[in-house]
Amino acid sequence: MRAALFTLLPLLLSAQAIPERPEKTAAPTLVFEAPKPSEHRVKLKNGIVVFLVNDSTAQPLVTLNVRIKSGAYLDPAGKTGLTSAWCSLLRSGGTETLTPDQLDARLDFLAANLTTRSGETFATLSLNLLEKDFREGLSLVSDLLTRPTFAQERLDLFKRSTLQGLERLNDDPRSIERYQLALLTRGRDHYTATWPTAEELKGLNREDLLAHHARLIHPENLVVALGGRFEETAVVKLLNETLGALKAGKQGVPSPNPPRPTAFPKPGIYVVHKDNPQGRVTFAMPGLDEADPDWVPVEVMNFILGGDFTSRMTYLIRTQEGLSYTVNSRFTPGSLLPGTFTSIFQTKARSVAYGTRLMLGELKRIQEAPVTDQELAMAKGALVNGFPARFSRPAAVADLLMAAHFNGLPEDRLTRYRARVQAVTQGDILRVARKYLPLDKLVIQIVGNWDVMEMGDSKDHPGKLSEMALLPVVRLPLWDPMTRKPLEK
Amino acid sequence: MRRHRSLLALALAAAPLGAQSIPVQAHTLSNGLKVLLVERPGQPTIGTAWAAHAGSASERPGITGAAHLLEHMMFKGSEVIGTQNRSLDRELDAQQDAIYAGITQELDVLRMKQLRGEIADMQDPKVRSPRHQKLAEELATLVKQQQGLLKNGEFDTAYTEIGAPGTNAFTSNDVTAYVLTIPANRLEFWAWMESDRLNTPVFREFYPERDVVNDERRLGEAQPTGKFEEAFEALVWQAHPYHWPVVGWASDISTISRPELQAFFKRNYAPGNITLSLVGGFKASEVLPMLERYFGRIPANPQGGTRVVTMEPKQAAPQRMIAEAETTPAARVVWKTVAQSHKDETALDLLGRILGATSGPLRRNLVLSQKLSTATSAHHQAQKYGGTFTLNGVAAQGKAPEDVEKGLIAELERIQKGGVTEEELQKAKNQSLANHARALDDNLGLATALAQTDAICGYEDLLRKPDETRAVTREDVQRVAQTYLVPEGRNTLIYLRKSTAKETK
Repeated sequence: MRAALFTLLPLLLSAQAIPERPEKTAAPTLVFEAPKPSEHRVKLKNGIVVFLVNDSTAQPLVTLNVRIKSGAYLDPAGKTGLTSAWCSLLRSGGTETLTPDQLDARLDFLAANLTTRSGETFATLSLNLLEKDFREGLSLVSDLLTRPTFAQERLDLFKRSTLQGLERLNDDPRSIERYQLALLTRGRDHYTATWPTAEELKGLNREDLLAHHARLIHPENLVVALGGRFEETAVVKLLNETLGALKAGKQGVPSPNPPRPTAFPKPGIYVVHKDNPQGRVTFAMPGLDEADPDWVPVEVMNFILGGDFTSRMTYLIRTQEGLSYTVNSRFTPGSLLPGTFTSIFQTKARSVAYGTRLMLGELKRIQEAPVTDQELAMAKGALVNGFPARFSRPAAVADLLMAAHFNGLPEDRLTRYRARVQAVTQGDILRVARKYLPLDKLVIQIVGNWDVMEMGDSKDHPGKLSEMALLPVVRLPLWDPMTRKPLEK
Repeated sequence: MRRHRSLLALALAAAPLGAQSIPVQAHTLSNGLKVLLVERPGQPTIGTAWAAHAGSASERPGITGAAHLLEHMMFKGSEVIGTQNRSLDRELDAQQDAIYAGITQELDVLRMKQLRGEIADMQDPKVRSPRHQKLAEELATLVKQQQGLLKNGEFDTAYTEIGAPGTNAFTSNDVTAYVLTIPANRLEFWAWMESDRLNTPVFREFYPERDVVNDERRLGEAQPTGKFEEAFEALVWQAHPYHWPVVGWASDISTISRPELQAFFKRNYAPGNITLSLVGGFKASEVLPMLERYFGRIPANPQGGTRVVTMEPKQAAPQRMIAEAETTPAARVVWKTVAQSHKDETALDLLGRILGATSGPLRRNLVLSQKLSTATSAHHQAQKYGGTFTLNGVAAQGKAPEDVEKGLIAELERIQKGGVTEEELQKAKNQSLANHARALDDNLGLATALAQTDAICGYEDLLRKPDETRAVTREDVQRVAQTYLVPEGRNTLIYLRKSTAKETK
C-alpha cells in the first residue's frame, strides 16, 4: 500500500519558446487522493489502535511512535516534575533484561534512534531504525513499556541535568519568553505553566516513577503509528504479540482529560525586563478548536494575515520595513486544551514600539475590509496545491492519522479538506477575522530592555511603546527557577 | 539563512550517506551548469536544490556577509518578476544608489569620529549630520515610492499559489543553496522561475533587506553565547576566510552597497559555478531538454568563481579563550583537521561518532561514572578548505569546566594510546550507514546534499561514502587521532557563568 495514490499524466512539454510569464508554463494534471484513516487503522487484540502507513518504495526504515495520554496534570501534589521524569527515565532507565548501559550500547549498535518526549497532553516514545532490525527494536520498546526499571543512577543524572536546565531559565530571552507566556496566558496555577522546584526535584524517587508508570500503562491510554517500509501482515502479527499483549495492571487507569485554564489575562502590555539588544514581542488572544467548523476558514484567513512568508504581517514588518527576521501568526489548534492565537516578531529594542504599532494595524485591517481576490487565490492555491506534499513521508502520514484519532477529529477531515478550502469566500474571511481576533482580549507580552523599548525610535518612527496600543502597561518580574516564585522587582 | 535554521542541520546530517547506492544521473548543460537527477516515479512532489559554489569564504574583508545578503536579494525578483513598471523601478534603484553614495561619505566621516572617540556608535541615528539625516529621509521616501510599484513579494507569492510555499535558502562558509519542494506537475514553472532569477536578477528593496539581515545578525547577538561563539570561531581560524562569520561583521553588513553585491553575483553565480539537483516524481529523459532550454540561456562567464587561495597555516601553539556568559559552565576543545575531500575525513568522522556515541567513552566515563559533566559530545565537521574536530562537555554543578576539559583530553588520549575496539568501530559504522538511508528518505534532503556536496568536492564523494566508511580500520582511527588532534593544535573555550543578579530590576 502506498501512502497516497498518485497519477501523473504524461508531462506535456510546451513549445520550444520560453513563455514570457511563468504562469504560462505547462502544468499537467496531478491527481492525488488523500489517505483514508479507515484504510490504515488496525485494532490490536487488547484494543490499542495502530495506524500503519507502508510505502514499498521508501528506504528500508521504520518509524514507530507510541503516544501515551499523560501530562504534568497527573503529577500528584508535591510531586511536580514526576511525569517529566517518568518520560525521560522510560528511555534511559533500563529494563529488567537490559541495564541502562546495555540498552544504550544495543541501540547504538543497531543505529536506532529511540527518544521519549513529554508533552502537554501526551508523551511520545519514538523509535526509528532499519527495517531488518524492527523485530528486535519492537521487543525493546515492549520491554520498556512492560518492564522498565528506572535505574537510580539515571534518575540522579536526570535530576542533575534538569537542575542545570533550571539554572539557565533566565539566561536566554527565548526561554524567558516561553515560560512567561505560559504563566501569563495559562495562569500560574495551571499545570502547563509550572515546573519542579529544586526541592520537588530532589524529592522524586524510583518508587514514584514505578507507581506513575503502573498508573499510565493501560491500553486505553495508548495509540500507535507505524510508517516506513515493511511487510504489513507480518508486522501486524508482531505488534499483536508485543504491544497487543500489553495489559493494564491493578493500578492502571485510563488518563482523564487535562484541566483547562480557567481565565485569560486582562488586556494589557506585559513587559518582562531583560537587558538585550533585541526585544521579543508576542501578541496573544484566545483561539478555537480544530474540530470547529470555522477552523478551515480561520486557517485561510491566518495564511493571509501572518501564517505564511507571503503574508501581510511578514511583508509589512519584515520585507517593507526591514524590522524583523521572524514575523508570523498562528492559531494553535485546540482540542484537549483550548486553542490560542499568537503572533510574534523580534527586533532591535528601539524598534519594538513601531513594530508593535504595525502588527496591531494588520490585526485591525483584516477585520475592516475584505481580503483581495488575489490574496484569497494565493492562499487557496497554496493550501490546495501544496496538500500532497504533506503526505510524502510515510512516517509523517501515520503520525498525522494518529494525531487526528487522538484528538477525536472526524474521519473525513483529510478527504474533504481541499473542497472546504475552495469553498471559503471573502465574506467568510471577514467574518472569522472579526470573530477570532477579539482585540478587546488582546494581550501583548514583550521581553527586552524596557527603557530602550519604551523610548522608541525617536528619529525615524517616533512614539513610546506605552502609547502604541492604548493598553495598560504591566511590568512582570522574572521568576526564580529554583523556588518557582517571582523575583523582587 | 532565509527562514529557519533547521535546514542547515538537515543538510549536514545528510552528509554521511551509505547503505544503498543512489541512482544519480549527471549531466552538464551547454553553458557548464551541472545537473544531478534522481528519478522517483510516482512521487507527487519533487525536491529541488541548486547551489552556487561560493559562500562566505569567497568574500574579502569589508564585504563580509555579502554571500548571505546576496542569498536574501535573490528572492527580490527579476526583470519580469516583482514590479509593475520596470523602467521606473530601474530609475528609482539608480536614485537610491546615488543617495546611498552620499550616505557612504557621511559614514566615512562618522567612522573617523568614532575612531577618534568623539561618538560611540556611527550607526546611531542620533549622531547623523543634518545632511546625513536629510539623505536618510530621502532614501526612505524613495524606498516607499518604489514599494508602490512592486508586486508584493511576487517571487514568493507566485510559488505559493502553485502549492510550493516553502521557498528557502541557506548560506554556509562554502556554499549558497536554494531549496524548494514543488508539486511534481510544476517542474516547468520552477525551471522558468529559477533560470529567470539567475539570468536577470534585480536586487530591489536592497536597503530594507539589508536591515532584515542586520536583525538576523542581532538574533545571534541576543543569545547568551552568541558573541563568544563568533569570537571563538575567529580565534580558531587565523588566516583562512572561515575566520569571519557567515552573516558578516556588523560594520560590513551595515555599509555594503548594491554594486558590491552585483559584482559578487556576476562572478560566483555564473553557470559554471552552479550545480542543480532534482529528486522526485519526474522522468530524466523528459526533463533534460527542458533544463537545457531554460537554464542553457544563461550566459557563461569564463572568468570562473572567486578563487580562494589562502591556506590556513599550521597552528603554532595552543590557544585559549575564557568567556563569562549567562550560561552553564562548559569546556570545548577544537582542532583544525582536513578538508572534506581528504582521504582521512571518513576516519575522523568515525572517531567523532565513537567518542560521542550515547554509549561512548565520553558519556560513559565523564557523565555517568565520574559525574564531572551532564552532557558531552564529539564530532568532525568537514568543510571545503579544512575541517574541525570538536569535543564538548557541560560541567556538572560544582565541577570546574577545566576539569571537564582534562577529562575530555584524557578520553582522547586513551584512544591515541590504546586505539578503539572492533565493536566501537562497528557501532560507528552502523550509525553512519543508517544515516545514509535516513538522508535518502527525503527528496529535498537528498537534492540538497547532492548539490551541496558537488559544490564542495564533487557529488561522487557522497556516493563513495558508504564504501569508504566500511573500509576504515581500527588502525586508521587511532592514526588520525594521533596525527591531527595534537596538543599544539588545541583551541579551548571555557565558559564560566556570569552573575545575572544585578540585572534583574
